Amino acid sequence: MTQPSPASRPAELSPAQSTVAERLAEIVGERHVLSRPSELLVYNSDGLPGYRRQPRLAVFPGTREETIAVVRLLADEGLPFVPRGAGTGLSGGALADDIVVIGIHRLKKIISLDVDNRRATVEPGVVNLRLNKHVAPYGLLYAPDPSSEAACTIGGNVAENAGGPHCLKYGVTLNHILALTVLLPNGEVVELGSKIGERDGYDLRGAFIGSEGCFGLALDITVKLTPKPQTVRTLLADFMSVDAAAHVTSAIIASGIVPAALEFMDGATIRVVEDSIYAAGYPRDAEAVLLIELDGLEAGVSADLEAVRRICVDGGARKVKVARDDAERMKLWQGRKKAFGAMGRMASHLIVQDAVIPRTRLPEILDTIRKIGEKYGVMVCNVFHAGDGNLHPNIPYSADDPEEAERVHKAMTEIMQACIDAGGSITGEHGVGLDKMGYMEAIFSESSLNAMCELRGVFDPERRSNPGKVVPLHACKEWNAVARSRLRMSTTPPAHADGDLPGAMARPLEAEPTHPSAE
Amino acid sequence: MSTEAVVSAIKESGATRTPLRIAGRSTWLDAGRPVRATKTISLRDDIGVVGYVPGDLTLTVRAGTSLSEIERVTREHNQWLPLDPYGSPDGTIGATIATASAGPLSIAFGLPRDFLLGLEFVNGRGNVVRGGGKVVKNVAGFDLSRLMAGSWGTLGVITEVSLRLYALPATDRTFSITLAGGKHEVAALIHAIATSPLSPYALQLLSRSAAHALGLGDNPVCLIRFGGNEAVVNAQLSALSQISRPEEKETSLWGRLRRLEANAHTTIRISGLPTKVLAAAATIIRDDIHLVYTYMDPRRGTLRIVLRADETDGVNTTGAIGSAGDFHTTGNGYSEVIFEKLPAEIWEGISPSVVSDSLSHGVKRAFDPHNILNPGILGD
Repeated sequence: MTQPSPASRPAELSPAQSTVAERLAEIVGERHVLSRPSELLVYNSDGLPGYRRQPRLAVFPGTREETIAVVRLLADEGLPFVPRGAGTGLSGGALADDIVVIGIHRLKKIISLDVDNRRATVEPGVVNLRLNKHVAPYGLLYAPDPSSEAACTIGGNVAENAGGPHCLKYGVTLNHILALTVLLPNGEVVELGSKIGERDGYDLRGAFIGSEGCFGLALDITVKLTPKPQTVRTLLADFMSVDAAAHVTSAIIASGIVPAALEFMDGATIRVVEDSIYAAGYPRDAEAVLLIELDGLEAGVSADLEAVRRICVDGGARKVKVARDDAERMKLWQGRKKAFGAMGRMASHLIVQDAVIPRTRLPEILDTIRKIGEKYGVMVCNVFHAGDGNLHPNIPYSADDPEEAERVHKAMTEIMQACIDAGGSITGEHGVGLDKMGYMEAIFSESSLNAMCELRGVFDPERRSNPGKVVPLHACKEWNAVARSRLRMSTTPPAHADGDLPGAMARPLEAEPTHPSAE
Repeated sequence: MSTEAVVSAIKESGATRTPLRIAGRSTWLDAGRPVRATKTISLRDDIGVVGYVPGDLTLTVRAGTSLSEIERVTREHNQWLPLDPYGSPDGTIGATIATASAGPLSIAFGLPRDFLLGLEFVNGRGNVVRGGGKVVKNVAGFDLSRLMAGSWGTLGVITEVSLRLYALPATDRTFSITLAGGKHEVAALIHAIATSPLSPYALQLLSRSAAHALGLGDNPVCLIRFGGNEAVVNAQLSALSQISRPEEKETSLWGRLRRLEANAHTTIRISGLPTKVLAAAATIIRDDIHLVYTYMDPRRGTLRIVLRADETDGVNTTGAIGSAGDFHTTGNGYSEVIFEKLPAEIWEGISPSVVSDSLSHGVKRAFDPHNILNPGILGD
């Protein structure tokens, strides 16, 4: 399969495209519209750089009114677009193949904060960590904490229904969004959910969250804030076998204690982290560590801490270390949160997976993953949200070696299949995007995929918002007839037909990846 | 009724454009607007556990399984589904999800959508659709399951549900605090309890009528439930004892509170900013209307007004709606009013539809193009 390269397209905009670019510039100002291929290179990948797509134009509205005007202009012209937050996503979801990117990062106002009712209304470009810093002085926090929290936007979190380590106890983005003002792809503005209370009628708020930019874009988002827990305790248990750590994970979950976080790192990951600038003091000779956090009222946390420590020791933990202070806690977390970055030292490329399995199957699936890795001679680093059963098997490799790339691809496909066979899901928090579209038919029936297409059709009948993502086009009965050509801006023929849209199952890995900076 | 039977019933009705009434065990069939239907699909016999691995804390059941049956099955493994909608525990899980009904435990465990991992339903075309999955974390595809929660059977007939469970707490204790004294005294006490760092499983303020019906005396009361390990319950009880005089009650009291609504003819839920609800709490629970049960959840920010069929008449319904309206307007519109049950004849005048916007119309057309599923129950 051939990859559309910027060189295969005219570097200059056609007269019609130039007119669109000029009209966009009239709305947002000239310096907030990019059209030169060299300027647009920055936007040709996301956090999962196995995929590259070159946008034709990028526009960065600075206000709500500008955003509405931009989307209405594109609607009038019948042009498709891709909303993009900080580009930290790990599914290729924010890529624009020769169409318009609408970057939301300038929409970064924290519109209101209601401390007593624990809610805030923000623009979509507000960075997750900035919201947290803003509310921290009031003893509040915004619970979903993707590892890219320092860069990722709330708008992007909503689009992906983002998770993070602490979602084990606090739930994912969906559980923390009260209301949204949404700009539909046709330019219409609608309010979903309620800023003030519960509401009857269809839960369109719930439908929009996790729609991966296919239902339009949020103009403002009202989030629920959580009181900071009275006490937080973090412990690190190390094991001489992956199996023992996996069994202990299952035992903690089965005990009914709900830790704030329960993270797993295998020996390969530990050594990568310890060799990097993010060294967290993990025991280098361990085959697995569990990073466990408990929070809540002091009295309850102390009792649970003892119970968890006992489960770890009974399950074969060599040592259980409890962080004595915040500095030690932060150090333990640093290693986990930067593990993906640290893997950059191992090889030139990295593939990241996001499958979810039932938590009792963890020991068995980790063993299967080990065997698959051996079979194909690839190194699998496991670093993941064990408490949720949300795996992240990662394989560092060199894409310049086609033979190795092929083995990596086969190993990943087999790992994914094992997770699906165990009754799991293909993605727990990264989204389907381009990357996992090829697996959708393995977990959803034709009629379920068709229902998803129909739901999308309600929000975006012309399917101009983030076209070609999430649900394979051929699964959408009603839409097969729509000409694909009108979804692209250039006259270059499409690089891929519907049947071979990216998806690890359907096609070999793509060349040119670099390293994700965030998980 | 199996999934296949639901499919053939819907296909048949679709062909003849026969509108269908979707029912579980019919314990709450009079809720919602009058349904224009001539035929009923009952999920009453579609019961049982499809999959339960206690170690995963997940459960998949057929939609007709009752909440009390789920409680029985999970209790054997020291687990529970902490979802306690007002009304009868004999209601089905399918109806609970479809109506998005939740009770006092929701401040600690969330609303039905928060328990929902995935579900199977049959849409108005007779297609079997699955949304979500069976694992605790999942973002694959557009979220069809969340959309079904609260859709009152108008988008599809739920046939199977996968849920997140929790371990039963080691300790689960309930206390009542009498809210006697002057208005300011009561207001101060309610404020102290509601805004304390306590994290109770449930917290409800009952009007005098509601308290009386539960045999809790002749004053408004505050009911509070603590759960977790023994240490956390004791610590909270001791903190509560600093600000009030809690008296221990049986946990079964919560079941009796829920059943107050079992044969109500009017239930109104008002939901607003917690501060607004809290500010009005003392006045509302003291201004008792005889035989109109009022209870409030200050943390959730909700107020329920309930009139029972056996004890009240139409005059009181008007009074209850009036006081709901008073709260709504004096709160400067800082609330949403949700009518769950009203006498059939007054819906049209009070709340003709909650799905009249164009997106909702689009969703309805996409899932039920012939408008044969529970037509009218949410309005048109």
